[in-house]
Order: sequence, then C-alpha cells, then structure tokens
Amino acid sequence: MNNTDPSSLLHKFQFILDSDPLIDEVGFVHPSQFAAISDSSISLDPPSSDDNLKSKASEANPIDMAFWCRDHKLGISTHVIHPLYNAAKHAFMFSLKQYRMVVDLHTNKVVLDTDNVSNALSSLPALESEIMNHSRALLLLSCDFGTAWNCRKEVISKKEDIMLYFDELKLSTLVLSYSPKSERAWIHRRWVIKMIAGKCTDLHEVLKNESELAKRIAEKSKMNYRAWNHRCWLVSYMSESQIIDELINNRDWAGLNVADNSCFHYRTRLMTRTLDDSRYKQDAIENPSHATKFYQLWKEELTWSETLIKRYIGRESLWLYRRFLSLCWIKHFADRMCGDNVNLFLDSELLLFRSSTTIPDNVFEDYESQAMFAATYVMWLIKQLDEFRGLEIQQKVGEEIEEVVSKVCPNKSFLWDLVRMKSGRQ
Amino acid sequence: MWDVNELWMQFEIMILNKGESILITFPKQFLIGESCLIIMGELAAEQHAKYILTIEKKKDDVESVLMEHLRINGAYWGLTTLDILGKLSAVDQETVISWVMSCQHESGGFGGNEGHDPHVLYTLSAIQILALFNKIEVLDIEKVSSYVATLQNEDGSFSGDKWGEIDTRFSYVALCSLALLKKLYKINVEKAVRYIVSCKNLDGGFGCTPGAESHAGQIFCCIGALAITGCLHHVDKDLLGWWLCERQVKSGGLNGRPEKLPDVCYSWWVLSSLIMIDRVHWIDKEKLVKFILDCQDKENGGISDRPDDAVDVFHTYFGVAGLSLLEYPGLKAIDPAYALPVDVINRIFLN
Repeated sequence: MNNTDPSSLLHKFQFILDSDPLIDEVGFVHPSQFAAISDSSISLDPPSSDDNLKSKASEANPIDMAFWCRDHKLGISTHVIHPLYNAAKHAFMFSLKQYRMVVDLHTNKVVLDTDNVSNALSSLPALESEIMNHSRALLLLSCDFGTAWNCRKEVISKKEDIMLYFDELKLSTLVLSYSPKSERAWIHRRWVIKMIAGKCTDLHEVLKNESELAKRIAEKSKMNYRAWNHRCWLVSYMSESQIIDELINNRDWAGLNVADNSCFHYRTRLMTRTLDDSRYKQDAIENPSHATKFYQLWKEELTWSETLIKRYIGRESLWLYRRFLSLCWIKHFADRMCGDNVNLFLDSELLLFRSSTTIPDNVFEDYESQAMFAATYVMWLIKQLDEFRGLEIQQKVGEEIEEVVSKVCPNKSFLWDLVRMKSGRQ
Repeated sequence: MWDVNELWMQFEIMILNKGESILITFPKQFLIGESCLIIMGELAAEQHAKYILTIEKKKDDVESVLMEHLRINGAYWGLTTLDILGKLSAVDQETVISWVMSCQHESGGFGGNEGHDPHVLYTLSAIQILALFNKIEVLDIEKVSSYVATLQNEDGSFSGDKWGEIDTRFSYVALCSLALLKKLYKINVEKAVRYIVSCKNLDGGFGCTPGAESHAGQIFCCIGALAITGCLHHVDKDLLGWWLCERQVKSGGLNGRPEKLPDVCYSWWVLSSLIMIDRVHWIDKEKLVKFILDCQDKENGGISDRPDDAVDVFHTYFGVAGLSLLEYPGLKAIDPAYALPVDVINRIFLN
C-alpha cells in the first residue's frame, strides 16, 4: 500500500479528522508548498498493522505527502483530491444505499420475514455512523454534494440529541473555511437553526455566533452574497435590542469596506426592521420618546452616510445606500412631522449633489464617477418622489443635472428624459 | 436591431482602411445580417461546439468528478448551447435521454446525477433537456408535476426539496417546469406570484427571500416567473430597468450587483430581464457583444467569465445565449423567460 491507494487515503483522512476534533480550517495545498511546511509537520498515521503506513509524514518525500495538520489546520495535497474524492464518494454511496434499504425495511413493516428485519435494524447504528463519517469526508472535498448534506439531516432528525445539531454547525463551518460561498453549507446551517429554534435555551447566543461567523467569512471573502444573505436571514430572529447592537457593531466594518454593497444591504435590512417593527408604530403614538430614539438613529445614519460619501469618492454602494435612506427618511419621518421638513431635507441633498459634482482640473476618474452617482441619485429621487416634489427639484437643479449628465455620462441621458417625462415637462 | 447609420459609418471606415472602395455602392440594408460578423469580430462557433462535445464525453478528470453532483445542469447548459449553435444533432440523443431518465427518483423529481437526491433545480434541467429533443412525452408528466407541486408552501413560496430551503430561484424553477409540462393548475399561481412580489426591494430589484439583497440572477428568476404567469404588471419597469442598466460597466460587460466585476453570465441574467421588461435599449448592446466575444477561447473553444480567464460550460452557455438575445447572426433565437430556443418553446405551446 502507498499513499495514493484510495482506501488507505480515505482511512488516513478520517483518522486525522477523528483524532483532532478541533480542526477549524481545511485547505488544499500544492505538493510544492508541502516542501516548505514539511519540516514542521507531524505524524498523521492511523494505527495500522501495515508497516508502510507507519512511515512518518515528516520523513516522507513531500511528493508523497497527502496531508498536513498542525494547530488544528488541515492541509490536503491537491495531488490526492481525485483518488480521495473517489474513495469517499464510493464509500458514502455504498453506505447510503444500505442505510436507505434498512430504513425502508423499518418503515414498511409488512415484510414477512421478521428475522431479517430485526437483523437489519441491529445494523442501523453502525450504518448511521458510517454515513456520518463518509459524508463528512466527502463534504470536505466537494462542498455542494447535496445528497451528503441531506442524509446527515436524515440521520440526525431521527435522534433526540440536540448536541448533534451543534456538531452539524461545526462541520458546516469547516466546509465554509475552504469554500466560503458553498450554498449547501449555508443552507445546512439554516436547517439546523430552524430545527433547534424551539428546543434550544440559548438561541440568542447561537444567533450571535452565526452573525460573527458571517462577519468573519465576509472579511476573507468580500461581497459574499451567501454569507451576507445568511446574516440578513438571522435578522428575522433578532430582538429590537439585538438589531440596534448589530447596527452599532457593524458600523466600523462598513466604514472600512465601503465597496461592499452586501454589507450596506445588511444595514438596509436592519434599518428596515426598525421601521416595520410593529412596536415602533405603536410607540410613535404611545411612547414618543421611543419614537425619538428611532428618529435619532435614522438621522445619525444619514449623517454617517454623508460623511462616507464625501470621504470615499466615487463609491457606488454608498450612493445606492443613500437612495434607500433618503426615500425612507422622507416617507417615514420628514413627511410625518409638521413644518417644511421634506423641503429642508431635499435642499440639503441638493447641496450634497452640488458639492459632489465639482471635478478637479486634473480630472480623476473617481471624481467623474462621483459626479455621475450624484446626478443619478438626484434623478432617482425625482422619479421616486411624488410629482409635486419632483417638479420642485427639477426647477431647482434641472439645468445643473443636465450639464453634469452631458459631461460625465451622456449615455445616461435617457434617465433624465425619463424623469422629465414623469413630471410632464418635456 | 443595429443602428444602421452607425454600422454604415463603421463599415465605411473599415473599407476605407482597406482601400476597397468598390463595396461602398452596396445599399445600407445589406449590412444588416451576415456582415455584422465582420464588424463585430467573430464568434468561434465551430470551436465552441467542439468544446462542448469534448466535455460532454469527459467524465473522469478531476474537474468533471467534482461537479458530478450537478451534471444534469451542465448537460442542459451544454446541449442548449449546441442547439443555439445549430449543432444539437452531433449528440447521441438516445444516450442522453436514457441517462437523464436514470437520474429520476421514485418521488418523480430528478437528481443532479444517477443515485443523487432529487431537487427542483435538477428537475427543471431534466425537463428542459427532454424539451430540446422533443421528448417530453417520455416523462410520467403527472408524477413529475406532482413532485414539483408538493414543494409549494402555504405562503406561495417553493422549497427546493423536502428539506425546506426557500428561494425565489425555486419559485422560478417550479413555475417554469410546470408551465413546460402544462400543469400550472396544480399549484396556487396567485399565491406563488404574491410571494415573488413580496421579495421586491426598494431599488426595484429582487432577492432570494423577502428583504434579501437584489441580485441579477434572482431578478431573472423573479421576472421570468412573472413573465411565465403573465404578471409583469407587478413590476415598476422603469425602476427595475434603472437598476439593471446600472450593471453595465465601462468595458461593456455586465455585473450582477453594484461594485462587482463584470461577468459573462450576467449577459444572460441582466439582459434577459431587460428584454422581458422591454428596457434593453437602456444598455450599450454593441459594447456588450464585444465584451462577450473578448471572453472566447478562439483556439480551443469555450467562453470564460472575463477576458483571459479559464473557460467552462456554464459561461459558454451564458455567453452564447447572451449573443442570441443580442440577435447575433447565425444563432438560433432563445426565449428570455424559458431559457430554451424559441422554436422549442413554439413546438411546445403552439402545437
């Protein structure tokens, strides 16, 4: 037997996973990289009577090395992925077939041969543990192998042990460490959380950890739709105080990642929750000070957004976020207060537009983008506001907008035609 | 669809450069058609067909085995590309169909490959592949449509499989499957539409669930589903068109979300959505054609996500399908909602 013998490879892989349950990161390593790290590698061999298997990984030629594991990080040689995958898949598919056969026997009790049924049932625990072992190995090589995730759900949902669900979160985290965009790994987490939501006493803590994980992954893998979507999904489980905490805690990160639209969408989701919380609507009547808290929150968000827009020139996400903030602000706050709050607000937005459209002489691309985003921002507001307000803005800055559009983005002039048509002034 | 005058101008410049003034005497109308090929650069159609046929046969290399769980999606991408290129006859139909049928599960749904669990995503691919070969009748239509129908939830949404994950992608896939099988009456269409509409965002786009970030792929699914059910009146076309046309970046390519790099696959997701809401004139189509053509591997065939990247079947399909939507000469027209050639759709609905 040598290192590339598929079944011994799988055996070795599963031995490593079993002997270090704290492994928190998996990655694929090219054999040439093994050479650089091999002097610090440790023995990974499973107890075996086969002498060849006992050769220490550290003594082996890097070319022959299959795995590297230290400080709970596991490296898998890119050279063994193929045979290892084949071995894991065949082992998994074989156990799955047997497992489902036994489960079928169990559910269809009409089978006459009762001896056979009880024999088969006695093998169920062993089959379940095989399934769990092989599907784990397989998912660490092929993250979106749906059938492997499914049969784990199948096995676990038949047990009463809530700790098993936490093990699933751990496996999903491990898979996400090498494939942060794995759709199935994220779906598995949501399934686990839905299953434990009613049973678990510290759901609050679980949600906090989930949000932390999504943040950690978003750090390494920018604009990861699935990570941020997971975080958005958690929002529906959050209490009002958690929403406010998330908004505050996420602010610094957002300020450092101004091109991450997903992060700003996450804030959109959180901010929207403060509006559609039924408590908020009630409070506006019964508890004005509570309503003031939200008013203050929105006002601060608008100020912060303006600071970022002025600090980071030409960032699309920041301007799109402002479209959302402004429209909601007008609809939910300014419009409901007495006085001329909407006009005051819009005037300040036009000032922002003007200050964003001055392009320095030594034309930088970013400044041109900034001017384009500022112009499309105002045009978008005109489109989304009622006719009267739209017309007012047009009267105030119409010519300036036309000038900016023809200068920096003539291809967007149809948008200007669109908003003018909407207000009936062609 | 090309601006005749602009084409004429470009053509004149080209001719002047080559000094072949004699061609100028051709009427302008002559330019619409085959000569677009000369002006726009060339689609390496033969090579792409060859590329698809090679990977169709490859099953044992590491790239293929690691994707084997969704092989049926790959088969749909590859076969549809071949059909658009007019090369579907190069495939052994019987082998493909018997393999597709081997992926069916006893529940009626299809897995991504033989022995894999069923999912609505793979079920649509199976139906689409059979539609390409005019072989939908080999299906037990009652059984397949019942499998899809049972995935609808109380709020109108669809789960992808029995494990319950909900996504507007699954709504599209379910509605598209049932429409192709002419079994839409098996579900509550009104509720399905209401759920999709509830995923609409303030920016006019759609996400995978209510409140999720707008994403061009999800927008295609929602708009496609609304188009199939005749419910596009729920959409503010100007607002959505605005967001979609802002996906075109300087290189002419389209991205799927703000601040992302352009990617050939959005030539399908964004473009088909723009066509369905009648706002395709809001982007620069010629620049987009050029971007897609720049992503070809002209020697070995295949199209990649961005120029000079490695090609794959997924992007080859989206590139060729995008060019078909852009009425690139020599390609079969593709239906923007069903993602199948128009003649295939006509065969199903007009017969």
